[in-house]
Amino acid sequence: MKRNLNFIEAGSLLEAKETTSVDLTKIYLENIKEAEELNCFNTITAEQALNDAEKSDLRRQQGKLKSRFDGIPIGVKDLFCTKNIKTTASSKILSNFIPSYESAVTQNCIDAGLISLGKLNCDEFAMGSTNKTSYYGPVTNPWKSNKSDAKLVPGGSSGGSAAAVAADLCVASLGTDTGGSIRQPASFTGTVGLKPTYGRVSRWGIIAFASSLDQAGPITKTVEDAAALFEIIAGHDSKDSTSSIKEKERFYDNLNNSVKGMKIGIPREFKSNDLPLSTQKAWDDCKKLLQTNGAELIDLSLPHTMDALPTYYIIAPAEASSNLARYDGVKYGIREEGKDLIDMYEKTRSVGFGDEVKRRILIGTYVLSSGYYDAYYIKAQKIRSLIKNDFNKAFKKVDAILTPSTPSTAFEIENEPNDPVQTYLNDIFTVPINLAGIPAISIPFANDENNLPIGLQLITNSFEEQKLLNIAKNVQDTVNYESVPKNWWQT
Amino acid sequence: MFKPYILENMEFDKDSLYKLGKLSKIKIDESKLQSLSSDLGSIVEFIDRLKSIDTENVDPTSNSLDQSLVMRDDIASDVNSANEILENAPQKELDFFSVPKVIE
Repeated sequence: MKRNLNFIEAGSLLEAKETTSVDLTKIYLENIKEAEELNCFNTITAEQALNDAEKSDLRRQQGKLKSRFDGIPIGVKDLFCTKNIKTTASSKILSNFIPSYESAVTQNCIDAGLISLGKLNCDEFAMGSTNKTSYYGPVTNPWKSNKSDAKLVPGGSSGGSAAAVAADLCVASLGTDTGGSIRQPASFTGTVGLKPTYGRVSRWGIIAFASSLDQAGPITKTVEDAAALFEIIAGHDSKDSTSSIKEKERFYDNLNNSVKGMKIGIPREFKSNDLPLSTQKAWDDCKKLLQTNGAELIDLSLPHTMDALPTYYIIAPAEASSNLARYDGVKYGIREEGKDLIDMYEKTRSVGFGDEVKRRILIGTYVLSSGYYDAYYIKAQKIRSLIKNDFNKAFKKVDAILTPSTPSTAFEIENEPNDPVQTYLNDIFTVPINLAGIPAISIPFANDENNLPIGLQLITNSFEEQKLLNIAKNVQDTVNYESVPKNWWQT
Repeated sequence: MFKPYILENMEFDKDSLYKLGKLSKIKIDESKLQSLSSDLGSIVEFIDRLKSIDTENVDPTSNSLDQSLVMRDDIASDVNSANEILENAPQKELDFFSVPKVIE
């Protein structure tokens, strides 16, 4: 079997009966076993995956396929509730939680016949950009610098989801993105990561971090794969009151890679002397490529770009402090006994949450507390309007915006800055998009001088994912990025 | 290193930190007080940047979706039975979650 099979190829092989779902599932379970060192999975559901694969093969024999992608093995971020399968959000506090229901997104995957191989490691409650805040230990990026043997972060919070796709431990995976948690790890691992428009994908059954920003999306090997998996998970859900009522589109069938006559905005505020030369060069090369392919480049201003990150660090912790109030040792998760109810709450939460989660709960409580609410929380919501307005104005002039996905390529696990704000900077280019609620995709474009992948970000207006995917496909088809990590973890 | 913001390493007031811990139901571990105070200090210093931005006459955005609330029919469903939900409870009695005594 070919290494690094993508979602569309896997579908074709199954259709041509050149492989079976059981065979594919076995191959991936073997890959997962060999890659234990990468720590991508919190839970591997081998038995259930093989059972489901057998059922898929039977459906194929009987001509009763659930979808044309029936039988393809994928991985699921451990933030999606999965019925009767442990769901931890990579937190100690949920280390024994077994949901009695299935999230809307994973149910959509089941309804399409996809096979889940297990639950992927992530930052605790999706808070982080290195995957180091996971209670189950960091994920290791399958990529290594050609100048050092040091282990690198895969990015976060969907670090396991991105690393598993890059290391070929699943055909594709599901992630979530609150401030960059799909796009930043995709950028660090040479994979494609799509954050859909807020409301496109149901949040029902996804463990909540910041409800007005959270959105689920695919991490895949190609843009076509992203379109296909996105099509499976998107759509209205009456159980999520912020779910869009817009009709689901045929994103994969309608892919068209022409950019002729399109206007691509280049925002001034994303330019910086701090940007690594190789990232700057990739960005410039992509501009030229789009121009050569018939697009027009438009100089653009998004004046509130630099205000987005501090705005995010008010809104996201505020919502998190409220969402995480439910973990109190009463209804689910672990409990630490105390001398009375309050003592039990405090002990449970102190033992159950990690440092980053505690920091965010404390900051969130601070900005929501009386006396500070207007100065921080309402102020941030107003600046959110200004940020959204910047994009609204921009999309009157351009079809899409092109930026780097991240201000650096993957860095060493041991080399994370001590100051949390320095770590937060990883998301400086991705956060404005969540605040505006618009869709964006990170695609691999080139490798830097250390042979590490550089991702570029394309952004469109709300509900214009088709256009977004089309432009991304144009770039992908022209640049032909085919680099994959050396499989050093297989001994 | 990408450093677009200059921070002065402010410290977060330690008494306020204990108060926040009470509000958040998180015990502030004394051995971590110093690091927590400097971490929160830099975050607060970072978000304080926003104070200088003019937001006069700007409406707040709480959610980016431009859609009014969708109503659904009020039909009872039998998903999530008490038994299923209680499966995850650290302690239960009969059909109830059980917690340490609240009223003397």
